[in-house]
Amino acid sequence: MIKEIVKEEFATDLAEGAVLVDFYSKTCGPCKMLDFILKDIDKTYGEQVKIIKVDFEAYPDLIEKYNVEGYPTLVMFKDGKEISRKSGLQQKPVITKMIEEAI
Amino acid sequence: MKRYDLVVIGAGPAGMTAAIYGVRANLKVLLLEKLAPGGQIINTKEIENYPGVGKIDGAELAYKMFEHVQELGVEFDYRTVTKIENKDELKYIYTEEDDTVIEALTVIVATGTRPRTLGIPGEEEYKGSAISWCAICDGAKYRDKDVVIIGGGNSAVDEGTYLASIVKSLTIITDFDLTADPVSADYLRSLPNVTVHPYKRVVEFIGENGQLTGVKFVDKETGENEQVVQCDGVFEYIGAVPATEFLQGTNIINDYGFIETNERMATKIPGIFGAGDCISKHLRQVVTATSDGAIAAQEAAAYIKSLRNQKQLTGGAI
Ligand SMILES: Cc1cc2nc3c(=O)[nH]c(=O)nc-3n(C[C@H](O)[C@H](O)[C@H](O)COP(=O)(O)OP(=O)(O)OC[C@H]3O[C@@H](n4cnc5c(N)ncnc54)[C@H](O)[C@@H]3O)c2cc1C
Repeated sequence: MIKEIVKEEFATDLAEGAVLVDFYSKTCGPCKMLDFILKDIDKTYGEQVKIIKVDFEAYPDLIEKYNVEGYPTLVMFKDGKEISRKSGLQQKPVITKMIEEAI
Repeated sequence: MKRYDLVVIGAGPAGMTAAIYGVRANLKVLLLEKLAPGGQIINTKEIENYPGVGKIDGAELAYKMFEHVQELGVEFDYRTVTKIENKDELKYIYTEEDDTVIEALTVIVATGTRPRTLGIPGEEEYKGSAISWCAICDGAKYRDKDVVIIGGGNSAVDEGTYLASIVKSLTIITDFDLTADPVSADYLRSLPNVTVHPYKRVVEFIGENGQLTGVKFVDKETGENEQVVQCDGVFEYIGAVPATEFLQGTNIINDYGFIETNERMATKIPGIFGAGDCISKHLRQVVTATSDGAIAAQEAAAYIKSLRNQKQLTGGAI
């Protein structure tokens, strides 16, 4: 499942299961292409993984909290704990591996 | 084993155009891409010289091209090609992902280029963290920090103009002077936070505790007059090398790795074509890449037709 962040739900969303957070910017090209790959991945994994998109410019507090340095940055959480992180546009198999390790 | 009329390697402007022309010529086409559709332009902030679209964000142009590809129903897969084998009329394509071998009558290689590196001490250690090749991707983390650009060509000046609007100071170290178009170069030079060191050679990246702290450079001619500029990040723009490693050992690349093609984009191996930035040519732009892609696909279709005609005459099937 892929969705844009809803601030009030973020903590509950993160708390359980496999959650891939995509810190992106609307103005960044690689982010747009990553979005394309994520949509493709979502078709394969469906409900097994929540993909939550966080706009870099709109949530500076979350950027600071999670120490995100640039965009796009992908952070994989399992039951609320960060288990891996990648910055920059990634190959689809790399993202798939991050997810496989969390589900 | 899956058999295609045409396998296009690389989904940049050249490869996407080849795929479009390929399906429109009724070929069964597979488009392979190792990273994401779009190619180099997804990292380009503004394209201002592609006819018909005015000023456009590179990623948006890439997205539009890929939408076009998808509308035509081109088969697409994420794969990194590692080898092409040529046996009789068939080409066998191997990829990094698994043992599947893809079979094709024709192949268009449109894998573009990747940035050249300096190969000096410290580069390996800091690449990916403090050394980058893409200002659009990594510029944001240097807000109000000190940054160095190495190189003085069009890419250096374009990306430098973007970076100068974000960073505290931008130092450009280049082995000639700024060689980009004079209007852009003069503008960049005039910005208050920009310093240019022409005719210098970078010799080392310096750091402490895994953190880059500066760049050491000397006079290009004499190797003397060593200086260090303090910085938090570096962007290298010193040219590009073709992404054709998987063709090493074949007779279709030149000494620099660029694919040698004729005006029909054909290589020395019948049925293998080259298109875009990875071929030996003078102007590497989106408009020339798309043009190459169109010609290559058209020629691939003509080649397949002649192959089938020949087989009909001799009684074989293909
Ligand atoms: C900073 C910068 C600014 C630029 N600005 C402009 C501009 O304003 N206007 C303009 O017209 N041009 C511009 N260009 C040039 C333009 O980007 C290129 O000419 C164009 O992208 C070339 O297209 P291509 O399809 O040949 O290659 P690329 O765009 O490089 O695409 C090649 C694709 O092949 C893939 N690939 C590589 N190896 C493999 C493999 N083994 N298996 C599978 N896939 C593989 C790559 O991932 C890539 O997606 C700029 C370039 C740079 C670097």
